[in-house]
Amino acid sequence: MKILVEHIGLSFLHTTQSLKETLLFAFKVVSRILDKNAYNSAVRMVLTDQIYFTSVQILPLFLTVAAIFGSVLVVILMLMVKELGMVQYIGRFMIGFMVNELSPFITVLLIALRSSAAINTEIAVMKVNQEIKTLEVFHIDTINYLFLPRIINGVISVVLMNCLFSIVVLATGLLFSKLIFGMSFNLYADVLLNSIYFSDLLILLLKCITYGVFITLIPILYGLRATNELTSIPVSVLNGMVKVFIAIVIIEVLSLIIKLM
Amino acid sequence: MLNKNAFKVGLFVVITTFLVVMTIGFMVYKKGVFEKVYTYTLSSKSGENLTLGMPVVFSGFTIGKVDVLELNEEGVVLITIKVPKRHIKWIRSNSVFSLDKPLIGAPKITVITENLNSPPLSPEAIVEIGTANDINEIIKRVNPILEMVNRIAANIETISVNLANPRGDVNKILRNAEKLTSNLSGKPSLLDMAVDDRESINALYSAMKSTKVITSQIEDTLKKVDAMAVKTDEKVYGREGSLSLVNNILKDLIIKLQNLDATLANVNTISKDAADSTKDFKLLREEIDGTIYSIKELVKKVDDLVPFKKEPDIKLP
Amino acid sequence: MMEHQHYSGLISLDIPLISNLDVWNNIALIKLYKENMPKREARKLVLKLLHRYHLEDIAYKRSTSLTEEQKFCVMLLRAAMVHEAIIVIDRPFIILHNSKDSRFMEDALEKIDDLYKQCHILEYIWNKSRYINNDAE
Repeated sequence: MKILVEHIGLSFLHTTQSLKETLLFAFKVVSRILDKNAYNSAVRMVLTDQIYFTSVQILPLFLTVAAIFGSVLVVILMLMVKELGMVQYIGRFMIGFMVNELSPFITVLLIALRSSAAINTEIAVMKVNQEIKTLEVFHIDTINYLFLPRIINGVISVVLMNCLFSIVVLATGLLFSKLIFGMSFNLYADVLLNSIYFSDLLILLLKCITYGVFITLIPILYGLRATNELTSIPVSVLNGMVKVFIAIVIIEVLSLIIKLM
Repeated sequence: MLNKNAFKVGLFVVITTFLVVMTIGFMVYKKGVFEKVYTYTLSSKSGENLTLGMPVVFSGFTIGKVDVLELNEEGVVLITIKVPKRHIKWIRSNSVFSLDKPLIGAPKITVITENLNSPPLSPEAIVEIGTANDINEIIKRVNPILEMVNRIAANIETISVNLANPRGDVNKILRNAEKLTSNLSGKPSLLDMAVDDRESINALYSAMKSTKVITSQIEDTLKKVDAMAVKTDEKVYGREGSLSLVNNILKDLIIKLQNLDATLANVNTISKDAADSTKDFKLLREEIDGTIYSIKELVKKVDDLVPFKKEPDIKLP
Repeated sequence: MMEHQHYSGLISLDIPLISNLDVWNNIALIKLYKENMPKREARKLVLKLLHRYHLEDIAYKRSTSLTEEQKFCVMLLRAAMVHEAIIVIDRPFIILHNSKDSRFMEDALEKIDDLYKQCHILEYIWNKSRYINNDAE
């Protein structure tokens, strides 16, 4: 019994410490984002490469997934709405559920699955190969050069990709609302506009930014925890990705709570 | 290759940003963010179900929203609604505002305007809002049904109690049915089941046997009767038949009875006269005799015409 | 040594090339980061410097696909990118373990002698005989 309580206590302390480290690191990195001296040609190059690998390279696959997944969900939603006789709430369902909740969630999952894992591995490999040390020797700030562009890329990618996903979903919604309900573009636009609130959009934007920060920051942090052994790389990636998923869930829950308040 | 990547990234950022800006711009334009907004004041006795930002709906479309809620000195809730310029045409002086609380979904203020040609509602006017409460309406409608269901449940309960009671009516019926079934299963025939007396059954059997003989005799008789009926038809209903003669006689009889009526009237008069005096009594007697004689003659004729009448029985006065 | 820290261009097996960067990027990194040199200009400079060793063709290669001599040249150029560089080579024969003597290293240093202020080589005493200019301290 005593051992169990001790174990719970240690686990709690470890979680708290980990959370504290993450938040402190986040604060340190985010404060650098606002420092204009942090930006130079090298950082811009890394940022461009990161956006290319995270967003542009994945774009065809992402748009296909958005179209297929969006269409299926929109059809299910519309048929359900029709069956329940709640056609007047179609805008609420489309904006409140598809755009505000589902779209950022799927976007962040797709980006995290691909880029977070890549970032975690990249940083862990750099740590194992002592490349981080190389940067330090040449007085290149690792936060500015390595972390900052990756985190900014996370924010830009999640925000823009989420917008694209939402636009694709709304476009499929237009198509299926015409087929299922015979709605015209103007009526569909009116129905959607009546359900859009700027406060919700602001929460959505903040949520995407937070997602972007944490799905890149956590892999960086866990990549840095790798030791000099190659075997530490998969362990670091595994831990990092689990924490990324937990962070996504926490952010989603927090955004819902904020919306309910 | 690097420049290619940079170009692709630039293109992606520019196109996506353009799309986002266009979407937001369209939304801002359509929502009339920069449009002139008109303010109207409504009043309600209660602030229940009223919330800030609540939609104001006309024909199912949101045309405005609740902007301010406040309580005035008289304890009346004042609701300030904001309506964009393009929607003020739906709000006229005769518009009716009601707080609509649907069963599913958030409450809203519904505007109904019967005559869109009425003058526009003055922004200074304070209009009282009514309440349309779906839940209460449904509860009202459901109440009688619930009562009925309660009664049915009570009846079901009584039946259940009766069923559960070994001395109850239902169990009694079941016991009787069981007894009856066991009795019936012990009998060789249906007749034995119905009549529990062997002698009666035998008598019935013999009666049924003799019935067959009687039936054949009846058949013969009926044939004869049929033949007779044919003849009788001819005699009675034929052109020269009795019935036509009887008809003629009856017509004659009616005429004569009319005469008799007149005579009887005379008799009455005479009786009256006779009561006064017996002077013309002899004369009266003769007339009566004459009349009776004529009736006698008539009856004789009738007797002759109707052969099946055994004895003419006419009682004379 | 501490006062020269900002000027030291260290060449060591413990300070490897960045594996996810091209050769030209590894060399140009310091110019790009510290001097905010435009990318195009930095690339041009690096290609010109690589030309001194006739190694332009490796500009877009990653470090893993380089020979030990090529790797040494790239590390040397990277170190020379530091402003007013004081190049410090840590046990060069660990990097150039197939070289019998210091000729290749000295040739390489000579080709870029305009890019650095000083050069120091740290070596084990038993390797002293492998150096042609045997004036080491």
